[in-house]
Amino acid sequence: MATSIPPDERLLDLVIALVNTPTRMTKEQIRTTVAGYTAAPSAVAFERMFERDKDTLRELGVPLLTVTDASHGDDVGYRIDLEAYTLPPVDLTPAELGVLAMAAQVWQDAALRSDSARALTKLRAVAPSAQAGDLVAGLAARVRAGGPALAPLLDAIQRRHAVRFTYRAATTGEVRLRLVEPWTLAAHRGGWVLVGHDRDRDAPRTFRLSRIEGAVRTVGEAGAFPAPDPSVVTAAERRWADAGGGTALLALLPERAEALRARALPETRVPDAKPGDDAAVFEGRELVQVAYRDAWELAEQVVGYGDGVVVLDPPEVRQAVVRMLRAAAALDRDEEVHDG
Amino acid sequence: MAERTADRVLRLLGMVAHLDAHGQADLDDLAERFRVSREQVLADVDTLWLTGTPGYQPDDLIDFDAFSLETGVVRLTQARGMTRPLRLGAREAVALIAAMRALTHDLGPALDDERRAVLTSALHKLTTAAGALAETAPVTVNLGVEAHSEVTAAVSRALTDRRRLRLRYVNAADRTSVREVDPVRMIVDDGTGYLLGWCLAADAERLFRLDRVLSADVLDTPAVDREVTTDADRLDPDGRTVTLHLRSRARWIAETVPGASVRNHDDGSFEVDLLVMSPAWLEHLLLRAAEDVLDVSPPEVARQVAAKARAALLAHGEDVT
Repeated sequence: MATSIPPDERLLDLVIALVNTPTRMTKEQIRTTVAGYTAAPSAVAFERMFERDKDTLRELGVPLLTVTDASHGDDVGYRIDLEAYTLPPVDLTPAELGVLAMAAQVWQDAALRSDSARALTKLRAVAPSAQAGDLVAGLAARVRAGGPALAPLLDAIQRRHAVRFTYRAATTGEVRLRLVEPWTLAAHRGGWVLVGHDRDRDAPRTFRLSRIEGAVRTVGEAGAFPAPDPSVVTAAERRWADAGGGTALLALLPERAEALRARALPETRVPDAKPGDDAAVFEGRELVQVAYRDAWELAEQVVGYGDGVVVLDPPEVRQAVVRMLRAAAALDRDEEVHDG
Repeated sequence: MAERTADRVLRLLGMVAHLDAHGQADLDDLAERFRVSREQVLADVDTLWLTGTPGYQPDDLIDFDAFSLETGVVRLTQARGMTRPLRLGAREAVALIAAMRALTHDLGPALDDERRAVLTSALHKLTTAAGALAETAPVTVNLGVEAHSEVTAAVSRALTDRRRLRLRYVNAADRTSVREVDPVRMIVDDGTGYLLGWCLAADAERLFRLDRVLSADVLDTPAVDREVTTDADRLDPDGRTVTLHLRSRARWIAETVPGASVRNHDDGSFEVDLLVMSPAWLEHLLLRAAEDVLDVSPPEVARQVAAKARAALLAHGEDVT
C-alpha cells in the first residue's frame, strides 16, 4: 500500500468503515485497520489526525456517535447513526435547483458561502435532473461578509454556548468586554448584528459585528442556556431594526442630493429656531424631512454629499455624520506633517 | 485546503449515492450535476475505486464497470453500503435556508406569479429536507430593498416582459438625467438594489442604483438582447488604481469590492488595491470608512476627501482645526 494516502481518501475510508461496522469500532481498530491511519508515524500523530477528521465529518453532517461499552471498560468506540445519516426524500425540479443555486450565491461571507455550496452539492446528488433552470436569471442578491466573528458566533448559537468579546459602542466609542448568550445573527441592509442576552445587563441586546474587536471566545459549557423564546428574539430584533428610525431634518443645497430630495416627506415642518442656531446654515438651502430606518445608515448616505447636505436633526444622525467627517478631515494630516 | 478536501468528500459520497439509486450515469451528466469537468469526474471515479472497507481486497472496494467507463458511462457495480444520500449539516442548512427565506420574502413580492411560485416551492422542499434544522432560525436576513416600491416593481416588470425602461436618474456626482435602458439584471448587493442594463445614450452597460432612480417607466419598445459581462461591478479597465491601508475591521471593503487584491500586514491591518471607475464612489467610500483608513495612495486622493470633509464640517457649523 502506498505510504501516503490523501486526506479526502482517508475520510472516505473512515466513513465507509463506520457505515459497515455491525456494532462499533474502537479507536485502536480504526488506527490499525482503516487505510490512511495505519501509516500514522506515532500514537500522537494518529490522535491529532483522528480528532481533526471527526470534527470535519460532524461539520459535514455525518452523525458520528461515541459508544462506550460496559464490557469493554472505558474503551471508547465509534459508529454512524444510519437513520440520522440519511437525507429525507426531496424532489427538486430544474427550476427549483436554479433558484437554490442563486440563493447559494447570495453570501459574500466565505464561511456561509462554502456551507451553502455544500448543501447544494447534497441536493444536486438526489435531484431527478442534472440540469438547473435559469428562470430567475434576471435576479441576483448579495449579502456582505460578516467578518471573522460570524462563523464562531454561528457555531456558538447552535451549541448554545455563551461568548465573550470586546465591543466598541456605536455612539460613544466606549470599548468594553461583553458576556453574551447568543440567540441569532441578522443581516439588515448590509450590516450584521448579533441578537442575544447580555448577562451583565441581564437584558436582550444587539451588537454590530463590525464593532466587535478581536476574537470571539466561548465561555463555560455548551448547552448553557435554554433555547430562546422565538417571540423574545423577534421582539429584540424588531426593536433594533426600528430603533433609531424616525424622521430627519436636512438642509440641502439647490440641485444637490436629488436622491434624498426624492425621498422627502410631503410636508416639512420647520422647527422653531433654537437659541444659538447659526442662521447661515439655512441660507440658500432647502429644508426637507426624510424618513429613515437606521441612523447609521442615513449618516453613511448623507456623508457622501459633502457640504451638499447639512443634518439639522436628530442629534444622533448629526453626530454620526460629524464623527465620520472629522475622521475624513484628518486623512491628509499625517501627510502635511511629512511635507512640513 | 481543508475546505477543498471536505468539499470533495461530499461530492464523492454524493456521486456514489446517486449512482446507486440510478445504476449508471453518463460522464457528461455527472459533470453537469456536480458542476465539475469530465476530467474531474474521472479523477473522482479513480479515487472511489481505491476506497472501501478494511482489508481493502478487491471484494472490499467500491467498484465500477471498467468497460462501460470507456464508452463514457459510469456504472457502479459495488457501493459497499454507501447507498444513502447524506443529510444536510447544521450550518449548511442554516446558510441555504436563510438565503432562500430572504429572497422569498424580500424579492418575491416584486416577481411575477411563476417566479414567485418557484421560490416558494423550493424553500418549502428545502425546509422539509432540512427537518429539525429548519425549526430554528439562527440567521435572518433582510435584503433591504423595498419590493413594493414603484421603481422596483417597474424594473422587475420590464425584466419579465423584456421591455425597455425610461429612467430619471441621479448619478454619484449628484447630476440628474433621463436615460433609456434595456434591463439585463436586478442585483441586490449588500442592502442596495441595482439595475444592470444597457444605457442607450452611453451605448454601454451601466449599473444603476435603484435608490437613485427617481422614476422608472416601462416603455412599449422591446428590450434588445445585449452582451454584458456576467458580473458587472464597479471596476473599469480604464480606471486608476488606488491603494488603501486599512484597519482589520474594514475588511468588508476588500470582501465586497470585486477584484480587489489584498496584502495582509502582521498587525492585522491590510492594504488593498482598488481599481476605481468613479471618483465619487471612492470619495464616498473613504468618507464612510475614514476611521479605519491608515493611509491612502496616491496622497492627492486623501487631500481631496479631507478638503471635502472640512467643507462639510463648516457647512454644519462645526469648527475645523
